Parts: sequence; structure tokens; C-alpha cells
Amino acid sequence: MKVAVFWGCCIQANQYAYEMSLRETLPKFDIELVDLRETFCCGDPVKSMNEFAASFLAARILALANLTGLDNLLVPCNRCHFTISEAQDTIKRSLKTAKKIFDLLKEEGLEYNPNIKIWHTIDFLHDFVGLEKVKKAVKRPLKGLKIASHVGCQIIRYSDLGRVDDAENPRKFDELIAALGAESVDYAEKLDCCGAALNRSHPDSALSLAGSKLKAVQGLNVGGMAVSCPDCQLMFDARQKDAGTTVGAKLNVPVVYYAQLLGLALGIDEKKLGLHLNQSPAEELVAKISG
Amino acid sequence: MSLVDLMSMAKPNLESRDKILAKLKGIELVNCYQCMKCTSGCTALKLLELKPNEIMKLVNLGFVDELPSSDIIWTCVTCLKCVQRCPQKASPYHVIMALRNLAVEKEAKVPEGFLKAVSQILETGLAEPPQKIVTRKMETVDRECLKLPKIKFPKESFQAAFMKAMEEK
Repeated sequence: MKVAVFWGCCIQANQYAYEMSLRETLPKFDIELVDLRETFCCGDPVKSMNEFAASFLAARILALANLTGLDNLLVPCNRCHFTISEAQDTIKRSLKTAKKIFDLLKEEGLEYNPNIKIWHTIDFLHDFVGLEKVKKAVKRPLKGLKIASHVGCQIIRYSDLGRVDDAENPRKFDELIAALGAESVDYAEKLDCCGAALNRSHPDSALSLAGSKLKAVQGLNVGGMAVSCPDCQLMFDARQKDAGTTVGAKLNVPVVYYAQLLGLALGIDEKKLGLHLNQSPAEELVAKISG
Repeated sequence: MSLVDLMSMAKPNLESRDKILAKLKGIELVNCYQCMKCTSGCTALKLLELKPNEIMKLVNLGFVDELPSSDIIWTCVTCLKCVQRCPQKASPYHVIMALRNLAVEKEAKVPEGFLKAVSQILETGLAEPPQKIVTRKMETVDRECLKLPKIKFPKESFQAAFMKAMEEK
């Protein structure tokens, strides 16, 4: 089945492992990803400066998805998914803003389609592909592997927009981890933020948020942490060393994308999943899989 | 200077308050009854002393003019817990975003990171340029050697449309 996909900036500019692992794993469920005509910013960093311009960018994504003729759009980034959901809501709530956006789109010959359903990796695998199908596809169960899950903020809040899971007690991500044969542990800091959104104004504080969460996870005695957002991965994986400095800890926590875990369980070659691109010690996580 | 210090010298300006209310498009700022659920769960409270309930009160009373030039509005991490938990649907997150937009309109100081992102989008369509990254084994790789498809940058008509959108208030 064909599904349109919008990657956004962060994934296509440096979080290559997320793109690689999704492109490798989804075809195993008969999903064919169709890239949009263009890649551009979803509007997230623009929102703080001009909310209208952000809504326009997000609406433009749905207008480009409309050109593919497909009803479903996969948006693997938490922030892009949130920004698009917000724009959909604004268009529904304000006729005046909607008209301005539609007129601007028309200048480029584009048309907004309100009926396109957007999915994130979590609900796409859990509900669209189906948890049972994911379970059945596992060739190499991740037995013995304990995982601390980090679902991220903007994909579960706020519920009025329609998010992928419950805001205070999200379970889908943990169920997806369990479906691979691994164990998802609960921990007090589970819903804490990675801090990425502070990078543009208070980078040191951003790092200390990531650092405190990683420090807590390091104390859990788990094989690693799984995330589903390129911004979170950037903070916890690529910036882990710096994050450790801000909280006075030597951090050594393997952090991987869920799609990479899925790929391992499906028996896909590690290099194809971009596991060599993770800056945290992903090989230590792989070594903890028994059998 | 804390927000309270600023307030002691200021006079309420109901026009500025109306500007914020107009930007909120239906988010019920006026319903805030100071239960402080927002502040008690705020991610930026511990770290940067953001107190969303204070911002709500200041805006509600019309003490809006000092906020756009205060650094405090740039400390929000957009974790959205305040929106989720607000029993009155008053949503501090939306008020803070409206204040940030107002700061740009008033040409107050905006953190450089945001300005950079916007100029990068104008130039290439993306908020950040594609990078070469170094693997754990110190090999430098890019999209091409990872066999990822080439990035399809937006057509020229995109820039014009985005510039027009940025002029809207």
C-alpha cells in the first residue's frame, strides 16, 4: 500500500538513521513510501515569530500531499506532526485565516486537502499497520533487552488537537517495544522533556534537561533508551556528552530510534539501519540481546 | 529584573491586551482563575523560573507592554503540559506564542536562533542545511554515500509565498 511521507528538516539534514531505518523496515509490511514533491520546513521554528506563516507552511505540506492523490501522510517527526495538527485546527477554527492560507496556496497552484489523515511512526505502526502484524513479523525477538521509552512531548499533547496516545499515560510506544520481545520499563522521568525546543534561545538549559533525563535512565540498569523523534534523538544521542557535562555525570546510555529496534527484530543488517550513525554506544545495546 | 518589578512601574494597556486576545482566536485567556496547575507542572520553572500563571495574570490585567521585551517569554520549552492540564482552556502556551509574535512586530530582541532559522528557510526552504556527519568510527558520511535520495528543494515560487506569509500579522 502506498503512503505519502513528509520527513521535515531535522531528519533530512542530519538524523539520517531515522530515515534509513524507516525506509528499510516499512516495506516489510507492504508499505511503499511516496516522497512529496519538495522538502521544506514544517513551520515549527517560524511559529514563535509569525504564527500565520507557520500555519501556511504546514498547510502547504498537506497541499503537496494532495498532489500525490494518497489519503495517508506519514510524518515521522514529533514537531512536524504537531505543527501540522495545529495548522489543521487553526484552519478549522478561523475561516478568515483559512481563506488567507488558501489564497496564498492558490498563487502556487496548490490546493489544501482537509481529508488527508496524518500519522506518526507510533500510531502508524500501532494502529495502521497493526500491533499484531508487527509482532508476527519479528524474526529475531529482542529477548533480554530492557528499554526505557521516551515518547516525547508534542506527539502526546495536547489532546484537543487529537494526538497519537493518552497525554498522561501513553502506552502505545511501550506496547510496540514489547511486541519486539523487549521489555519496556516504567520510570519516574518517563514524560520529562528532552529540551530541544530551548536550543534556539537557551542552549545550555536545553542540554541540562536532556542531561537530567539521561542521568536518570543511566541509573535504571537498562539496555538503552528508545525514541521516536529526531529532535529528541539529537539531544539524547548526538549531544549526550555535552548534556552529561551540564549535570556533572559521565553518561554512557545507548539511544536508538524505535525504527532501528524494529529493524533489528526483523533481522535487517545493522548498517542498513544506520546503527553506525548513532553517537551513543548502540553496540552495547545490541550486545544485550540474548539469543 | 523580575516581572513583578516591571509591573510596579507600569500602567495597564488594554489595547495591547486586545491585540493578544485577537491573536488567540478563541483560546480563553480571560477564564484563567490562577489555579497554578500550569506553573506546578512547567518544565521551564525549575530551570529558568518561568511562571506561566504570572504571565497569564499580567496579560489579563493589561500589563502586556513589558512582556515582549522580556527574556522570560523565550524560556518556554513548548512541552505543552500547561495546555493539556489547564482546567479553563486558557492555555499559557498560546499566550506565550502570541507574546513572541508581538515581540517580533514590536522589533524587540528575538533570540538569534529563530532569526537564523527563518533566513535559512528563505534561502533553501529548510530550517537547517544538510550536514555531513561523523560516525562512531570517525568516518564522515553524507546522504549520498548512505544511499539516501537527494533532497528535493522547493521551487522558486515557494520563497515568494513564504515572504508574503511572513508579512501577515
